Amino acid sequence: MSHFIDLKMAVAGGKRIDTIRLTQELLAAGSQPQEIVDQSLVPGMALVGEQFRCNEIFVPEMLVAARAMKEALKLLEPLLVSAGIKPKYTVVIGTVQGDLHDIGKNLVSMMWKGANFAVVDLGTNVTPERYVAAAREHGAHIVGLSALLTTTMPAMREAVRLLKAANLPNLKVMVGGAPITQAFADEIGADGYSDDAGGAVNVALKLVGEAA
Amino acid sequence: MSRAYLLQLAATNLRMPIGADIVLHRHSDPAAILLDGPRLGEVIAETAVTFGTPLAFPLMDLRLEKAWLLTLLGVSAADVDTHHFAEDPGADAVTRLSAALAASPPPPRVAANLAALRHVVKNTPLYPVGMSIGPFSLATKLLADPIMPVYLAGSGATAAEEPEVALVERALELALTIVLHSIRLQLDVGAKAVFIAEPAANQVFFSPKQLATGTDIFERYALAPNRAIARLLESHGADLLFHCCGDITDGMLKDFCSLHPALLSLGSSRRLWEDATLVPKDIVLYGNLPSKRFYSDQLTPPDAVKVMADELEEKMRATGHPFILGTECDTLHVEGCGHIICNKLHRMLNLIPLLPTP
Repeated sequence: MSHFIDLKMAVAGGKRIDTIRLTQELLAAGSQPQEIVDQSLVPGMALVGEQFRCNEIFVPEMLVAARAMKEALKLLEPLLVSAGIKPKYTVVIGTVQGDLHDIGKNLVSMMWKGANFAVVDLGTNVTPERYVAAAREHGAHIVGLSALLTTTMPAMREAVRLLKAANLPNLKVMVGGAPITQAFADEIGADGYSDDAGGAVNVALKLVGEAA
Repeated sequence: MSRAYLLQLAATNLRMPIGADIVLHRHSDPAAILLDGPRLGEVIAETAVTFGTPLAFPLMDLRLEKAWLLTLLGVSAADVDTHHFAEDPGADAVTRLSAALAASPPPPRVAANLAALRHVVKNTPLYPVGMSIGPFSLATKLLADPIMPVYLAGSGATAAEEPEVALVERALELALTIVLHSIRLQLDVGAKAVFIAEPAANQVFFSPKQLATGTDIFERYALAPNRAIARLLESHGADLLFHCCGDITDGMLKDFCSLHPALLSLGSSRRLWEDATLVPKDIVLYGNLPSKRFYSDQLTPPDAVKVMADELEEKMRATGHPFILGTECDTLHVEGCGHIICNKLHRMLNLIPLLPTP
């Protein structure tokens, strides 16, 4: 048990070398990959999200933690895939058309991966049609739209409109980014909004009906 | 510019948005104007007259320097927006960039900006202000992940130890090279002040937790390049107008003040009346209405803008600190929302007679 906690804290602390070592030790000791994800990685990133919301850490520390988590996932994902285990929920994310900013999107993407979502990252400057196509192709449960520029707000509105019009089963739409507010999210018909990457996990979990 | 002129303007309770983009898009052919220096100069002059200010503020397009830099280093025009260096391009890249800057004219958009500035100087009584992205903010645009190398460097990693640190430091070198060149060109055509936009010099890129450990990373990466700019401007008798609309700490604010700008422009997350206690009285504070949310009347009702403006002005007057009321950043045109934004800019304004320039 303590190894799971040690790994959780190594991830949360952004200790890459320790994360790799502890993951390897847990695997060598017979722990199942999914168990490691559920007992260490997910709680580790949840802790990171909480610390960020409380202003105990900031974006750089979140990124360092996410980087450590990625190292653990590099070891675990092949094992999970070969065992036929995949995340329960799929999310598609991208920065809206006309916008090339990706820091916020990348952070949310990492936090979602840390919460054991399968993440399909479309990159930046994503047209509304591409969001719809990707959501359909991957059977997405959530599509996340990110924007930093006020000039791309119309593109976000159009993307939400198209996604809703596509009537894809169980699909929810989340929005976020510096100029976005809850009021704007409501105005354009988005199902969820988060004002930071840490909160994006909780919103996503609520949207898929999981306790957050 | 003499600092005293800005202080004098502040004493008149001047209100002015940074709004050239809004006025540009009132014209039927904004794309053509952006490539036509004299016409662009007319738009800048029109902006000043529209908003009742003697300061000719140019358009804020923070993509120009990246495109210019990468084109000179051989990246195709189609790729400049999305191109990031995967590794340190080497000291040779800086040499090549410097040589290319000396040997070739600026690209069309930059040339038009220079011609616009020249037009304002020659044909109007307005005070000509130049503009550039700041070197740190430009450097962040040259990397896919700029935050991690800054953090690593702040933790003590050196360029010799960490390729990412080597990359970000080279990016800073390249960025400073082109920004200084751009500023020199603007000074040569008559700019009396230059507005340096450093939106990335904020707590997203520099962790306050890390800064509290005593690292000098903010000085090395955010301030030192801008000190070089401040020295250049001072040597030409021009003023530094410094802008950062990102979320910053009080420590970062004080550090910006150490650049001794004539004007400090801050984002809407700051409470300027509290910042006034941290900023020397010979630095005019500018800002900081939340103009990034002016595109929607539901988000920001028009009447709320006047209330915000009046309240901010009253609070700042109570501090006695020199202040020009304005927007937190360039007020960009948003397709379909131009009239909504304009309406708010007019609500925030308290038009006064134009002052003659010194």
